[in-house]
Amino acid sequence: MTVATADAPILKHGAPWRTIVGIGLRELRGGLSGFQIFIACLALGVMVIAAVGALGDALRAGLVRQGETILGGDMSFARMHIRATDGERKSFDALGTVSETSTMRTMARRLDGSEQALVELKSVDAQYPLAGNVEMAGGGDFKAALTGSSAVADGMLLERLGVKVGDKVRIGDAEVEIRGVLTSEPDGVADRLTYGPRVFISLPTLETTHLAKPGTLIKWRYAVKQPLTAPSSPDDLKALRQSVAKEMPEAGFTSNDRHNPSPQVTRVLDRLRQFLILIGLASLLIGGVGIANSVATFIDKRVKVIAILRSIGASGQQIFTIFLIQILAMSAVGVAIGLALGMAVPAVVDYFYGDALPIRAEFSVSPASLAIAALYGFLVALLFALWPLGRTERVRASELFRDAVSPREGWPQPVILAALAALVVALFGLALLTSEPRSLVFYVAGGLVMMLVVFSVLGGLVANAAQKFPRPSWPPLALAIRNIGAPDGLTRSVVLSLGTGLSLLVAVALANASLVDELRGRLPEHSPDYFLLDVPKQEFPPLAARITESIPGTQLTVAPMLRGRLVKLKGQPVEDMKVPSDAQWVLNGDRGLSYTSVVPEGSKVIEGQWWSADYSGPPLVSFDVELAKKLGLALGDVVTVNVLGRNIDATIANLREVKWESLAINFVMVFTPATLQSAPHNFLATVRLPKGTDRAAEVALVRDLGQKFPTVSTIRVRDAIDQVNTVFAKVMVAVQVAGSVTLIAGALVLAGALATAQRRRILEAVILRTIGAQRRQILAAHALEYAFLAAIAALVAILLGSIVAWIALTRVMELDFVFSLNAVLLTLAAAGLLIAVFGGAGTWAVLRARPVPYLRTE
Amino acid sequence: MPNTIIQLKDIRLTLTSRAGPVEILRDVSLDILAGQSTAIVGPSGSGKTSLLMVMAGLEKATRGEIVINGKDISGLSEDQLAAVRGRDIGIVFQSFHLVPTMTALENVALPLELAGIPDAFTTARTLLDDVGLGARVDHFPAQLSGGEQQRVAIARALSRRPPLILADEPTGNLDGKTGQQIVDVLFGLRERIGATLVLVTHDERLAAMTDRVIRMMDGRISSDEGKRSAIRAVST
Repeated sequence: MTVATADAPILKHGAPWRTIVGIGLRELRGGLSGFQIFIACLALGVMVIAAVGALGDALRAGLVRQGETILGGDMSFARMHIRATDGERKSFDALGTVSETSTMRTMARRLDGSEQALVELKSVDAQYPLAGNVEMAGGGDFKAALTGSSAVADGMLLERLGVKVGDKVRIGDAEVEIRGVLTSEPDGVADRLTYGPRVFISLPTLETTHLAKPGTLIKWRYAVKQPLTAPSSPDDLKALRQSVAKEMPEAGFTSNDRHNPSPQVTRVLDRLRQFLILIGLASLLIGGVGIANSVATFIDKRVKVIAILRSIGASGQQIFTIFLIQILAMSAVGVAIGLALGMAVPAVVDYFYGDALPIRAEFSVSPASLAIAALYGFLVALLFALWPLGRTERVRASELFRDAVSPREGWPQPVILAALAALVVALFGLALLTSEPRSLVFYVAGGLVMMLVVFSVLGGLVANAAQKFPRPSWPPLALAIRNIGAPDGLTRSVVLSLGTGLSLLVAVALANASLVDELRGRLPEHSPDYFLLDVPKQEFPPLAARITESIPGTQLTVAPMLRGRLVKLKGQPVEDMKVPSDAQWVLNGDRGLSYTSVVPEGSKVIEGQWWSADYSGPPLVSFDVELAKKLGLALGDVVTVNVLGRNIDATIANLREVKWESLAINFVMVFTPATLQSAPHNFLATVRLPKGTDRAAEVALVRDLGQKFPTVSTIRVRDAIDQVNTVFAKVMVAVQVAGSVTLIAGALVLAGALATAQRRRILEAVILRTIGAQRRQILAAHALEYAFLAAIAALVAILLGSIVAWIALTRVMELDFVFSLNAVLLTLAAAGLLIAVFGGAGTWAVLRARPVPYLRTE
Repeated sequence: MPNTIIQLKDIRLTLTSRAGPVEILRDVSLDILAGQSTAIVGPSGSGKTSLLMVMAGLEKATRGEIVINGKDISGLSEDQLAAVRGRDIGIVFQSFHLVPTMTALENVALPLELAGIPDAFTTARTLLDDVGLGARVDHFPAQLSGGEQQRVAIARALSRRPPLILADEPTGNLDGKTGQQIVDVLFGLRERIGATLVLVTHDERLAAMTDRVIRMMDGRISSDEGKRSAIRAVST
């Protein structure tokens, strides 16, 4: 016989790594049994994060790939109010082929004046479009359609005015014939959110409308297509744009190039992506409870194997490593499934919702997105697996001949605690690195920790209370209470999994309800009914008289309005500044500016003094207090604003608190009258109709105004809000879908917990049946137990979810919190459904189980 | 004079259960000489398996001193005990305790692999040949009969050629004929490597094959037969 000799070479540190890895993988041959929930929980969270990353990548790739089309060329230069001067135009022409377009809001009317509609008017030159095509229903030549006094309009306008192709409509002073119905426009994304249907006319036709007067809110845009040989890397284009800006330092053009055609869209995509990553992380963390349960169950099932390994000389570290390898292997499976599913999501979204997206998604997944998702997956898997895995060290070889007489629970070794702390830090660091705004990470992390702690404690309290509860005489109730109080019962895991999932559901539902309420329910009470744009100064008195005559009691407010762009803060160009992302919008493109000698309605001076009514000194400005803080501005600082191609330096005289949601006329920056008074400009007016005004009278008034004051555009606030609501509804659907993912994670954890306890439940039911218990008694006991657990989890979830929603609304979104009974009922229904489905399925299996095999094997 | 391979001094084992403390072993003292074969017999619950497990370091005595192969193991950590077992002790269980997800070959190679010994699989294959399972190396425990599983377990226990073999009811789960075959394999291999054997059994015929029989009752040694003859047998 050949036996290894006692003095056979033994490696200094025992088995080499690959041997331990080999043993770990070999021991996994038992299959994935018991790991399904582990893998599902991990795959779900990783899928969300990977999907968000992949979708973001796909949209970003689409944005870049279609950049030229979206922008209408390689570069674009845009400015409010003023058309490019000859000199400026020459500079653009030197760069390549130039197309000039202008956009503005105005009214289109039937010739008989019976119907009118707000339209987004876009006037184009003969070169337009330099990239992509304008498409019309039934084909047709777009350029030919715009020759003469004619228009191509969105079908919605034809519907609103009740006109058809070939009919004429009035725009400003011109009568234009509608020659075609617009189906797609290449550079629509580059324009702002639209409130009305698009109408295309030619620039010569715009002249005949007489709408483009000094002071009119009109945006002029110059798209440039470079010659093919010109350098066109992102740096080249940026350098070209900067050189143009240097050439005309006070022109006030906002420039973009095709590598980032729409910074706003890019930023919105980034924000949405970061928010959804947090949702993915939340579902991963909730799934973490399932991961922990799975690993604990797995280790329990492997106790004999661990004891065998101990009995043949394996060290605690070797055993821990063997099982850690198995957990890592399973994590790899879960992460791989999650990544694969996540990568498929953009294609699915594009297939079903491609048309609803602002840009076409291009299939492109960056390694960074996948790496982030995978890293999150492994970190969370380890975070939740290490603690139960630490139990392997507590398994003693004596388990081979005697069941555990002392519990294996307890604190893991210090090295594991240190590893857990490191994982928490790593996870938090990764979330901070990949999320914006950073404060959101703190709120999400704080909220999740609060939920996990509250529901863990609650589960323990309920179980303890049930243990001490006097035994009721009705057997099913006694059984239910005993089950709730059982030390290895379902109470803790059900309360934890159901509770966290439902809390997030409540929070999302309440946040949604509050936002909808804010936009739909509460605004009209405080807000005006109409905004009147581009009211010429001299036309305001007759317009006001006309309105108050038609509907007495109507309140009118008016403010001068120009548009201008912040170009410098404290002498520093804004392009070079890093500001918080929630203040960036102020620096993007142009803003409405106004002047007044008194504090505007809805504003309150917080710091500094308002100027005297007769002030005529150097320019002063009143700044929104919150934005000033975010931009690092204080009293006495100088801001430079470009208005009508001229830079104005104004000193901050005071800071105002502005109630934006009142929708009263208000501006981030309000100047001293002398600063802007002499610049050509129009007025912005609001109309508040008396309560109970007849809709017919309202329609008649609007029609009358249209006829008497053709250059004035009327925006019905309710329509505008509805427009915003439509966009908002889509966003809320995305948020709700993402939010429901966390509930699915909770459901998986619940299913896992119930499955773990299933064998014990069946055995218990079998024993009960052998001693004469009726099925309905067992059913009643289970139903009572589940109903009680679901009810307690749901009630606490409602409380906790409300707190989370309240914090999110009042601290992060700065909105009022509104409690919604519907959200609560939805939660209770979800709780009932989940527990009925999973608990019911489990109980069904329990009642159908054949007793003999269970009795024989125990 | 042969060495003492096992020295137990005033061993007391008390386990705590939910019902309260249970006295398993009460002040057991015992010396076993190297090369000796010893049977521990006694009724169920008398503490014989616990005594064996204390010798194996699988169970920590509440009190007392345990010296195995000259080394006091009473104060060792779990990992130090595992190292002692890996090097000095081969254990055979009544329920075989093979890793169900590993083949016969992998089960036998496992202790060698864990110790970082090269050619673990070659050694394991030879051992399985020696116990008559050369043709079953790639079978999983569930594909083997009880007797075959126990032979794999014996091969695994002896793979590192330990000076001490501890067997807990090695034939307890087997029929008479198969049990006899296992006894032959166990005694044959032990003889070839010159190891000390301590086994726990209910089977008086098996006990009679050993040099010494220790009887247990209520956690105490009630009789110790053949001690002298065994010493004489070894020393002559």
